[in-house]
Amino acid sequence: MGASGSGKSTLCHVLVDRLRRDGVAVAHVPQSPDEALDPLRSLAFHWRQAERALGLAPDSDRRAELLRALGLDGGGLQVRPWAWSRGMQQRFVVAMALLARPAVLILDEPTSALDPIIAATTLDLIEAHLDGTATTLVLVTHDLGLAAARAHRILVMDDGRLVEQADTAVLLAQPRNAAAQALVAHRSWAAAPC
Amino acid sequence: MLKIDGLTARRGGKTVLTDISLAVGPGETLAVLGESGAGKSTLVAATLGLVAPQLGTVTWDGRPLGRGGAALVMQEPRAAFNPALSLRRSVLEPLRAQGMPDDAARIDRLCAGLELDPAMLDRKPYTVSIGQAQRAGILRALIAAPPLVLFDEPLSALDAVTQKQTAGLITALQREEGFAALIVTHDLGYAAAHADAVAVLRAGRIEETAPAADFFRVPRSAYARSLVAAATSLGALERRVA
Amino acid sequence: MNDVVQLFLRSAIVLTGTAVVTFALLWHAPGDPALSIAVARFDSAVSDEVVARIRAEAGLDAGFWAGFAHWVVPLLSGDFGKSSVTGRQVWPELLDAVRLTVPLALLGLAVGLALSVPLAIVAARRPGGWIDRGAVALASFGAAMPAYWLALLLILVFAVKLNWLPAFGAGSASSLVLPALTLGLGTGASLTRILRSSLLEARGAAFLPALARRGVGSRERAVAHVAPHAMIPVLTIVGLELAFLMEGAVMVEVIFGRPGVGSFLVDAISARDFPKVQGVVMLTAVLFVTVNLVIDLLYRLVDPRIGERHG
Repeated sequence: MGASGSGKSTLCHVLVDRLRRDGVAVAHVPQSPDEALDPLRSLAFHWRQAERALGLAPDSDRRAELLRALGLDGGGLQVRPWAWSRGMQQRFVVAMALLARPAVLILDEPTSALDPIIAATTLDLIEAHLDGTATTLVLVTHDLGLAAARAHRILVMDDGRLVEQADTAVLLAQPRNAAAQALVAHRSWAAAPC
Repeated sequence: MLKIDGLTARRGGKTVLTDISLAVGPGETLAVLGESGAGKSTLVAATLGLVAPQLGTVTWDGRPLGRGGAALVMQEPRAAFNPALSLRRSVLEPLRAQGMPDDAARIDRLCAGLELDPAMLDRKPYTVSIGQAQRAGILRALIAAPPLVLFDEPLSALDAVTQKQTAGLITALQREEGFAALIVTHDLGYAAAHADAVAVLRAGRIEETAPAADFFRVPRSAYARSLVAAATSLGALERRVA
Repeated sequence: MNDVVQLFLRSAIVLTGTAVVTFALLWHAPGDPALSIAVARFDSAVSDEVVARIRAEAGLDAGFWAGFAHWVVPLLSGDFGKSSVTGRQVWPELLDAVRLTVPLALLGLAVGLALSVPLAIVAARRPGGWIDRGAVALASFGAAMPAYWLALLLILVFAVKLNWLPAFGAGSASSLVLPALTLGLGTGASLTRILRSSLLEARGAAFLPALARRGVGSRERAVAHVAPHAMIPVLTIVGLELAFLMEGAVMVEVIFGRPGVGSFLVDAISARDFPKVQGVVMLTAVLFVTVNLVIDLLYRLVDPRIGERHG
């Protein structure tokens, strides 16, 4: 995590490229579905394209299973993305990411483009699906509240550098770096000066 | 005191707001919570008189909100300014529009309250940070001392630390200036920390209105309960608050 | 579906407006139209009686709206009326002229596309590179060059100096080359600029990096995603260019001495043959409106969001 402009997204992109080159199954879910789906192409097209990119044969059972895991009913994919709500589109993108059975799943600011109820449900569904698998979930966020509520370990970035990494409880209790201290000080709204 | 009474408004041929009634007194903050598409922006536009209501009234102390009666702080700080003008020119606009003289002393005083270097106002919107631009936006809203200030998602473009700092500055200034604040947001944490009262807007209707303390302790409607639960699980609300 | 009905309605309104304005302009043109017709038909010494007969025959004696109806009602069933000079039906002659002009316009468009598509693709590959800058400069130069000047230049080089191609006439296929080049170079120039910028914009689409990260190859990204997005603005331009080409062809035809709508119109104007002039104007209007309609409907096929937004 880190403030905007601290290099979180760039790190993500480098990470994806690097891991892929090393043969690690990695999937990345951008902040907004607009950054993941072509508005002129149907959802079914996107899915098939993702399968092809992974060298998979079309498998509608697996498709239905993954979509259902994210609370979608698994059908009606002949429409273009914008026929669905943004929350549904985002879940579709996540389901598509899970198709790769990723060892690492990167979610870039998963809550900022979605309404809180949908964001919370989506995160719950992802966590439930990954429960019991060895998948590493990387959550990119500028919000320590979210990180504290969801992460085992927190890495703090500042101005393009990784300035601190620690288990969540440790970081919250004793932030060492100034950027981490600022995040912790402004962790929750109740602690804000007012 | 701002009174919105039985407001029904249409936009793009659809009824977006139905029978909205709200009240905000001087020095008070009302947070209107709702997800995208709930009608928050239309509520702001209708309060400002930019959308004519089909039914109902918007009044301040029983009279229509006239020119200078309300000011707006927008969501996208830099896009809210004319990119060709210095921030100072834009900030002075509300005064000039009402035929009032430029008031350098007031600018300096408000800048101090907003922790903003007055020299920065001579720069153009896209040469300052988003956080600075948003504080300049608040400065512009407050310059002509309007009795009511509307905030449309004022913090959502800022990062978490800046959000909390800016929210604190707004509340402190409100204490000095005594304006009524109507804040439209989907951030429950912000509402919990800074609002006196909360209204939940859903699909164009008011689902629930309550003093903030009561709302976060015992939200009455099922929808409000799921909002509070979601915000808690995302870490936006401390668990003890819920 | 509602907005498709609206589209058709809008087209009908435009056509009606064009008809009224065209008729009004000719109606209010200086001089007595009946007298002009009589003069054109029988030379200067005509009796008042003849003029009166012509006035009645052309529906010019019953006031503006009656005159308008006299012209427009047969027009609805495709009857363009009779030439006021020769007395022959306008439509068959106009159709002959159109038959000569359409191939020229289409060939012009083909030349324009053949020049602009490869140029724009190469230019957009490396924006700001020397190929791109050269292409933009060339396109600006082409767009700025007046068609008549270009035509004379081409005649001078290819017909007079090199003697490869005929300068005038419409006898052989080779006589189409220079007029089509004249039209195609100008069209190609503006198409290049628009194609290049729409390609650049489509290549900057927000979802493309995510596709790459998902493992979708660059070839598929270009064909399945960039191309359709770049096509949307191009669709409009190609349609409108085709309509403009019909117009441009008029001038080029006159320069190259080719028979077609151009010479038809010029002859009609100099003879004050109003039914013929009106015929050309209405046909052009129908062409523009039809092209616009087809583009609007095609849009809905390529990008159904457009229909949704209005509907």
